Amino acid sequence: MAERRKFKKRYCKYCESKVDYIDYKDLNLLKISLSERFKIMPRRLTGNCKRHQELVTVAIKRARQTALIPYIVDRKNVVENPFELIR
Amino acid sequence: MNNYETLYVLKPTLTDEETASNIAKIEEILVREGAEILATNRMGMRKLAYPVEKNERGVYTIVYFKAPGTIVNELERNLKFNEEVIKYLTVRYTKVKEVIQFEKLIAAVIKREESVKTEAPAPAVAVAVATETTEA
Repeated sequence: MAERRKFKKRYCKYCESKVDYIDYKDLNLLKISLSERFKIMPRRLTGNCKRHQELVTVAIKRARQTALIPYIVDRKNVVENPFELIR
Repeated sequence: MNNYETLYVLKPTLTDEETASNIAKIEEILVREGAEILATNRMGMRKLAYPVEKNERGVYTIVYFKAPGTIVNELERNLKFNEEVIKYLTVRYTKVKEVIQFEKLIAAVIKREESVKTEAPAPAVAVAVATETTEA
């Protein structure tokens, strides 16, 4: 239980920058909610509010469908600089 | 009439003329079916996040248009049968906030096209080459 929380509970970054709609092509916005293995980060770690978490979830799934971000990153499927391929 | 945005990815092996003709063909389908094309964003060659039909790269194009809902079936049927298209995705913008975003996106595309026309297109190309070398 010692390292129960790896990340500090934070504020919602999307609320701070007043985002109304998260576009799936805007990878800089999606980056906030992605882990280094391109998983969707849970709300308890990122501190996103519920509304923005729902928006970003849909956007990430669309970005995956269009090959903008990978579905998985593992040892067989290595991305050298994970966030380099983001514009 | 709904607001739609279609993203499609063409094969990287095509020449510039073939790419242009494919884009023209898809726009022709839209016009024939009665859609109003608002803007076209040619994002150009990009690295794909994962291989699609053994392609590592793809030419991304986005079309913004206003059309009745029946058009989407016809468009996606054509994209499915076009062998040069490796990925496509159509998104509808209906809610008020979504429509605002939709208009912003179109405005951004049109603004960039104008700036490209007025300025020399050289800087954009130089940036693209630089990013590719860092990726490789």
